[in-house]
Amino acid sequence: MRDYWLSKLFYDVQANAAEYRADRAEFLARYQLKPDVKEALMRDDVGFLAARVNPYLLRFYFAASGMKDEEFIKRLRASAPAKAGAAAPKAVHG
Amino acid sequence: MAEIVEVMAASHGPLIQRDWHAVTPPHKQRLTAAFEALGARLNRAKPDVLVVVTPDHWINFFIDNLPAVCIGVGEEHDGPPEPFLKDFPWRPIPGHAGLANHLYQTALANEFEPSVSHRMKLDHGACIPIWRMNPNPLPRIVPIIVNTLEPPMPRVSRCLAWGKLIAKAVASYPERLRVAVLATGGLSHSIGEPTMGAIDEAFDRRCIAAFNDGREQPLVEFLEAEMDAAGNGSHECRNWIVAHGAAGSRGFALVDYVPVPEVYVGCGFAAWNLEGARRAA
Repeated sequence: MRDYWLSKLFYDVQANAAEYRADRAEFLARYQLKPDVKEALMRDDVGFLAARVNPYLLRFYFAASGMKDEEFIKRLRASAPAKAGAAAPKAVHG
Repeated sequence: MAEIVEVMAASHGPLIQRDWHAVTPPHKQRLTAAFEALGARLNRAKPDVLVVVTPDHWINFFIDNLPAVCIGVGEEHDGPPEPFLKDFPWRPIPGHAGLANHLYQTALANEFEPSVSHRMKLDHGACIPIWRMNPNPLPRIVPIIVNTLEPPMPRVSRCLAWGKLIAKAVASYPERLRVAVLATGGLSHSIGEPTMGAIDEAFDRRCIAAFNDGREQPLVEFLEAEMDAAGNGSHECRNWIVAHGAAGSRGFALVDYVPVPEVYVGCGFAAWNLEGARRAA
């Protein structure tokens, strides 16, 4: 299930990254975001947000908001639900 | 009458451009050589038009309007908006409205219902391979966007049928045109998922083997069954199967495969040997 307004925010930030970085709270006020979603944005909660948007938009958003890939990937992996017996990625690079 | 003179496929990871400085010298050499080999083939084929089958990375479309397939029918298209592609040399990008509209009409006549765009933006998916291949001159571009980013996506069998439809449309176009087809994306990669950065070399090599074998049903079944587990970027193999269909499902030849962790992509490059395929048909 996609969160429309969160997705819309991520889509729009691609072309307005500097403005978003300059005043995140003001930018967020333009979107009908649920309170828990807004809080997750303010604390860069990758795992919470990942469950609500397309993964490419998630990546573009965090890149545009200034998070380095290394940190983004670390948070993504930390957010993955542990599955009993789940196999690790077959050939993890990068 | 128009004819297909070249069919190719190439990976397109954005870091191939954005983080080129971080790519190791051996990988730079392999990637450069592969793009140049495809560029040389393209130049030898002297196409008037290049049909580019590519994803849209949330540039033209959003979840409020998300076509499964969209044809760019404009006389021209906009270049890539990504900042790291600001130096892309062709802006605007010339289109071929005649062939594009004929493709659209042929689609409707054959019970395919694509979306159309009269002014499309071409992002890194199309523009990195084109730029790196450095065609001289740049053919007119007919872009076909296939949704390979947001589920649900077109079935693999439908993508194969799209390739055959492209071949049919080109063959029935009344003007003499030389048409090349370029599929972009793949092979395995994972973006914005917990497996981001993973390259599934086993999938990639089985994928290449299935294309090399060429038989449609096993290839379709393999991709339908295996793409998802190989990372969300692997769904771009749908574009490769469009190319396979356009080539008549014969003649696949690997140019190179190199997993490049610096760009997160199992990079694949291929061309279909059309003359050999036509002789065998």
